[in-house]
Amino acid sequence: MSGVSLRDPYLGDCRLSPGLVDLREAYFRARPEICIERARLVTAAYEKFGLFGKERISILDKARVYRYVLEARRAVVLHRQACAEGMRPFSLTDTSTFAGSTTSKFKGVPLYPEFLALALWPELLHVSRRKQNPYYLNEAYIEELNGKIFPRWLDFTIQELARKRYNPPSLKIMERLVFFLASKPTCISHTIPLFSRLITEGLAAIIAEAKEKAAGAADDGRREFYEAIGEVLTGMVSFSENIAAEARLLALSEADPRRKAALLELEAIHRRIPAAPPRTFREGLTAVWLAWIALHLENSNIGLSLGRLDQLLYPLYRSDRENGTLTVDRAVELLGFLWLKIGDHVPLVPEAGEQLFGGSGSNQAITIGGVDRKGADAVNDLTYVILRATELMKLRDPNLNARYHPGINPPEYLRRLCAANRETGATPAIHNDRAVIRALMAKGETIEEARDYGIIGCVEPGSAGRFYGHTGAILLNLPSALELALFNGRHRHCGLDRLISVATGEVSSFKTWEEFKGAFIGQVRWLVDQAVELNNVLGRIHQEVYPTPIMSAFFEGPLEKGRDVIDGGASINASGVAVIGLADVADSLCAVRRVVFQEGSIPFSGLLAALQANFEGYETLRARLNNPEKTPKFGNEDLQAEGEVRFLIELLDDLFGARENYRGGRYRVGYWSMTNHAGFGRLLGAMPSGRKAGESFASGITPVSGAARELTSVLNSLAALPAGRLTGGVALNLKLNLAGLPDPLGLFAATVEGYFDDLGGERDGGLEIQFNVLNRETLVEAVLRPEEYPELLVRVSGYTAYFRDLNPQMQKEIIDRTEYLLGEGRMIPWEPFVFPRERR
Amino acid sequence: MAFPLGEGFAGLLSRGLKEELTGRLTDGFLEALLQAMAVFFALSRSYRRQIEGFSATYLFATADGKVAASAVFQEGRMKVIRQMLPQGEVLVTFKDSRSLCAFLLAENQDILASLLSGEVEVDGNLNYLYKFGFMVRDLVRRLKVKR
Repeated sequence: MSGVSLRDPYLGDCRLSPGLVDLREAYFRARPEICIERARLVTAAYEKFGLFGKERISILDKARVYRYVLEARRAVVLHRQACAEGMRPFSLTDTSTFAGSTTSKFKGVPLYPEFLALALWPELLHVSRRKQNPYYLNEAYIEELNGKIFPRWLDFTIQELARKRYNPPSLKIMERLVFFLASKPTCISHTIPLFSRLITEGLAAIIAEAKEKAAGAADDGRREFYEAIGEVLTGMVSFSENIAAEARLLALSEADPRRKAALLELEAIHRRIPAAPPRTFREGLTAVWLAWIALHLENSNIGLSLGRLDQLLYPLYRSDRENGTLTVDRAVELLGFLWLKIGDHVPLVPEAGEQLFGGSGSNQAITIGGVDRKGADAVNDLTYVILRATELMKLRDPNLNARYHPGINPPEYLRRLCAANRETGATPAIHNDRAVIRALMAKGETIEEARDYGIIGCVEPGSAGRFYGHTGAILLNLPSALELALFNGRHRHCGLDRLISVATGEVSSFKTWEEFKGAFIGQVRWLVDQAVELNNVLGRIHQEVYPTPIMSAFFEGPLEKGRDVIDGGASINASGVAVIGLADVADSLCAVRRVVFQEGSIPFSGLLAALQANFEGYETLRARLNNPEKTPKFGNEDLQAEGEVRFLIELLDDLFGARENYRGGRYRVGYWSMTNHAGFGRLLGAMPSGRKAGESFASGITPVSGAARELTSVLNSLAALPAGRLTGGVALNLKLNLAGLPDPLGLFAATVEGYFDDLGGERDGGLEIQFNVLNRETLVEAVLRPEEYPELLVRVSGYTAYFRDLNPQMQKEIIDRTEYLLGEGRMIPWEPFVFPRERR
Repeated sequence: MAFPLGEGFAGLLSRGLKEELTGRLTDGFLEALLQAMAVFFALSRSYRRQIEGFSATYLFATADGKVAASAVFQEGRMKVIRQMLPQGEVLVTFKDSRSLCAFLLAENQDILASLLSGEVEVDGNLNYLYKFGFMVRDLVRRLKVKR
């Protein structure tokens, strides 16, 4: 039965309420402030429970820490102040329908000293003034961080423990920054917790179950596990009760009867939730929000994702609608307030990271639409309400992802998704259910599990609440493998006098294309080995000192098995790899094959000399390499180029897929890059594709900018790739110009539909597509006059970001992305953007 | 609060660092930096507070071995040794004074450039280096050096 009863899925009459408008304005005005509350309390708890220096920290130890923190945290009901540009405090009227916050600030940067927080240490004195994305920090906090908190963690961060206990050579390789990054020193986070029991039973029921299971546990390990679950959930209930008490206190001193009533209503909700199951839509949202706060206490704020909220909360929404207690406008307002709460924290990015990877939000994905576990159309009224709230709020977090199942979801829904992209310029990303479900099943998931996928972080699909996959565990710089093959195991950034990997031969000695390809495969294998080794070592450190009782309480598997998710307790285990630079490497392989081995127009030594010279003095060669009519380029339905892309995808899936992670799962490979294609690109010299030193790589799985001139060819090239080899998720970034079309949405939707089409099984169809529905002029204007575009939302490669927050290289990359005129299906010619000197 | 820099012993020693930072960096930068730190730790109670209870050995050397020094923190004091000790929490190998200065004090991408160009390499516990980075910047702030 269809869950859609709305007459107008566009909800065009629905607007933001004045209170929400004001709070949103304050949100954009507020600059992030570093919050030390978590770091202070976790440090105190570690002291209290004697955990510093412990060889192994048990899940019960950790649970006690989190309960302590939850109970000691400040229960923020109303924010009264935030910090504007230039560290100027300003007052705000917090009319949110939700209380509690992930930090003590209106917009805070939480610190996780167990992970990366100490990297901020050298910057403490000037982080408030740094050019790119400053975080405000007062003198007292600097004193406390420098004098008390950071020194305590000197020897106990995840990365340091990995070095001290295992000292893998791969850690040194990672620290060179140009080969790969393993993200476990910063987070695991990337997953979707299970909220269904929170909604249908409430935490009291889970606490009771944990208690019963602890009493009857077969061994100490399981007993500890269940006791830990009881501890953290009890802490969560206490935290909510503290909010209730604070709301009551505020109500007592509130003179305005409306505000007083609102505070008392908050109190009543928090007296019930999350211990009891929610009865209303608002209570349901509150329960999710409280769980979200707790999960962020344990899991750093990068990529933790909310899953299929339109499915989870629809029964409560429908019930409220049917009994007349909820209007659509009110539902949109509630979601708008929740979106601001979800975005109340910003991930810590140290200065050096800002230069390479800055501008990211927390990448908290929400998934809507698609099919249900039985394969039926799952689009409902709440799907459209969420879309409308996202459209009106235009925030980078949450990162909205829409599922569309061709032939099952209604075509007008796809059209609605395109309208939202036109309205926001950048969201939601659209995923092809048919291809994704097939791909997940190819990795062993049941059809019901696969149909219940949600999007994690940027674009990574995983069965919601049961897939513990740490997508993005490894960010692999694929062009570095090519670099090592070209220079016989050496890398220009490390000095060509130093062997980094394995010697696979001087390229000038290769007589055949196959010899060179063999060398390249050898270097890829070495790179994969390094990355997997380090991820597994870091995973073991997590198992030894960073158990995760809160996540385990919200997952399918751990409660049944009596085992933490970090120890393999989840129903489905995997680790994820994001490969960066696919198209650049494929185009480079094509170039080498064509000019060196097929045509023999230049010897390999000559090509290397051109690369070493960054093509200075080799302009004719470069023009030839850049010309898709002379050198095959991915994105043009060119068989050789597509063959190289397919070869790379299969090679990486085979190499990674054969490896086991520390939880007994396998590795899954994806092609999305966040801002890393700009960061990694900056670190690499010229490539055979014609790319010059320091230029950004192509984003995600997208063809190199300017290489593919016809939109249809791009889409066909992508749709022909083997979806089952791309289960780590892909980001196809398209910049679309809708000018001159009388009915742009019709063509827009038809384009997506065509890209997703599997042509009766002839191909898999495209997995995912995301847009910047913006023209180049707007982006250039935003560079020149950033103050006029504070809210300009853009799609990076996976997540959305505020354009002004991106570093100059990333801004340039987005400006220089191929812009397609949808009406004509062709690229709009452009000249590479030159950054104004003063903004560089 | 900035340390009151007079014309006494501290002033004389830190003047070397000031000259290095405001003029052309020489091979003497590392020694000037470490000596200035040691003096300030000895004289400034507020600066010294951050090494109370802190024990660590930092090793610094140029890749060619021409410049080498160790900084030993123990019992609230800092000792500078003009050679590499055999062991330490962290070893910083740098190409020259400019790259070391950029690495420790940069407020822009020089730190990345230093790392990526191989001008600076770090072995050991990075957290100790982060702390050292703070202490260096704090010193420069206290000296009120405009760079």
